[in-house]
Amino acid sequence: MSAKKEMRAHSGMIRRVTPGVVALEVVTILLALVAFIPILWMAVVSLKTDEASIPSAFHYFIPPFTLRNYIDILSGGTAVVRWLFNSVAVACIVTVGTTLLCSMASYAIAKLKFHGRNAFFIYFLIGLMVPGEATIVALFVWANQLKLLDTYAGLILPSLAGSMNIIIMSSFLKGIPNDLIEAARIDGANEFRTYTSVILPLSRTVIVTVSIFTFIGNWNSYLWPYLCAMSEDMFTLPVGIPTFVSQFSVDKTVPMTVNMIASVPILVFFIIFEKQIVKGISLSGLKG
Amino acid sequence: MQSNIKKAARARAIRTDLIALCFLLPFTVLYTVFTIYPVFQGAYMSFFKWNLMGKQGFVGWDNWEKMLSDKFFWASLWNTTKFVLYSTPTIMLSSLVLALLCNRPSPMKRVYRTAFFLPNLLSVAVISYIAIYMAQPYNMGFLSNLMHTMGADESFEIFWLKDKHLAWVTITVATLWWTQGYNMMLYISVLQDIPDRLYEAAAIDGASPAQQLFQITLPLLRRTTMLILMLQIIASFKVFQQIKLITDGGPGRATQPLIHYIYEQGFTKQKLGYACTMSFALFFILIILTLIQRRLQREEDDA
Repeated sequence: MSAKKEMRAHSGMIRRVTPGVVALEVVTILLALVAFIPILWMAVVSLKTDEASIPSAFHYFIPPFTLRNYIDILSGGTAVVRWLFNSVAVACIVTVGTTLLCSMASYAIAKLKFHGRNAFFIYFLIGLMVPGEATIVALFVWANQLKLLDTYAGLILPSLAGSMNIIIMSSFLKGIPNDLIEAARIDGANEFRTYTSVILPLSRTVIVTVSIFTFIGNWNSYLWPYLCAMSEDMFTLPVGIPTFVSQFSVDKTVPMTVNMIASVPILVFFIIFEKQIVKGISLSGLKG
Repeated sequence: MQSNIKKAARARAIRTDLIALCFLLPFTVLYTVFTIYPVFQGAYMSFFKWNLMGKQGFVGWDNWEKMLSDKFFWASLWNTTKFVLYSTPTIMLSSLVLALLCNRPSPMKRVYRTAFFLPNLLSVAVISYIAIYMAQPYNMGFLSNLMHTMGADESFEIFWLKDKHLAWVTITVATLWWTQGYNMMLYISVLQDIPDRLYEAAAIDGASPAQQLFQITLPLLRRTTMLILMLQIIASFKVFQQIKLITDGGPGRATQPLIHYIYEQGFTKQKLGYACTMSFALFFILIILTLIQRRLQREEDDA
């Protein structure tokens, strides 16, 4: 560790501040600004009310700012509050459900020696080949036959069982030493006890990773909720946004406020879990 | 004696099977019902006339024949292909460049990385409306407003969504902005694993930074690049949501991708059987691409 640091410091000494280094730094700052300005713009527009009085592009970024739009939307009995609730509820249930189901199945795949273990695993791998977008029409008709359309169950159940999570989790669980499991068995724990007292605590890192990505994915998911939720009461935020926004032809401040309401929770989520998210992405790159 | 031991072993094996089944059952049921079964339901539906009321009658291969002679099917498949051709190289290149820029020693490293990655966290609905609002003409949109604030003639306007070429530009740029951060992070995670020693040795041998880039960094990124390329192509073939929201396939049908046409035929025109048939065409394309990707990845892993 310290050797690595020393090396870094050393190489830092070799790199002198040349015009090239400065130029690259400036280019990076400019590109980062360009990437960030649309998000900043969304934020400042949502903090304005009288849009017609804004004289130029720069004035969007200059105070006065007000939380008026947020107060109006969140306290005014608009449908947005209901959509916010739906989004939070569905994303939380899907996250907990996915993590639980996948870790249970992965435990069996990784650690229990039963007949047909390979067959099950291969069966789960097939799912990687099935693109959800190509089966969505059939899923819609099927969900209709099951009377799941326009219900919370319909929004939740199809999102719970994904192949990718099984692969990530079972390969992690395979790395847990069998000695620990044996030790628990000798102490008299059965398979269920072993799962709750050995496997779950030891797989905390992978559970956190899977939970984070499931939450983000579900919070932003659009296509299935868009088809499944038919009445306004069942919309999630991403589904509701286009409906809501279409009522405003000129004003952008209220639509941008709704966009912000859909984005702030996930941005806060990123700030809290940045380290795990960055690590999780590199993990997904290794798995492909 | 012998048989007793055998019996006990058998009983234990059966017990393990049952316990394993308990752990597997919830996942397996949902997976079968919502991931695997729809594939068969879709195949079945492609041989029927089917509307929102349900099955209307067996039509044999009619849907399939219709698809092959449907010029809108081919046009939308071509539009999807166009999107793949526009978006893949731009996203690949920009994510690589950004990763290289962000991986330099700089006190702002984390800020840069975050700025490029944040859009990736936003919902497709949010990024689509940001794009629409940025692109509005007559000083309403940020770009038009900025252009005129900077001194462009008031009578000069760019209609980003009315012209088919500019509509593609808008869609591609919005997608680039939205997704490049993820690939950038993949690149960065690989770049960080390259030992500093390699660069120091090269520097001592007198290699310029450019030489180091082309002879050390880029060759080491080959495997990641192949992986990102295939994943990017597969993802781009599934394009639908941002186009549905930003241009709704317009102007005319100029930017209508395949899934948009499937959606229109299935849900607007209520031809669900036909929509399933076209979904299967997409399914085949994606399976072929996925097989190629797995193959390449295995070859790289072996090498």
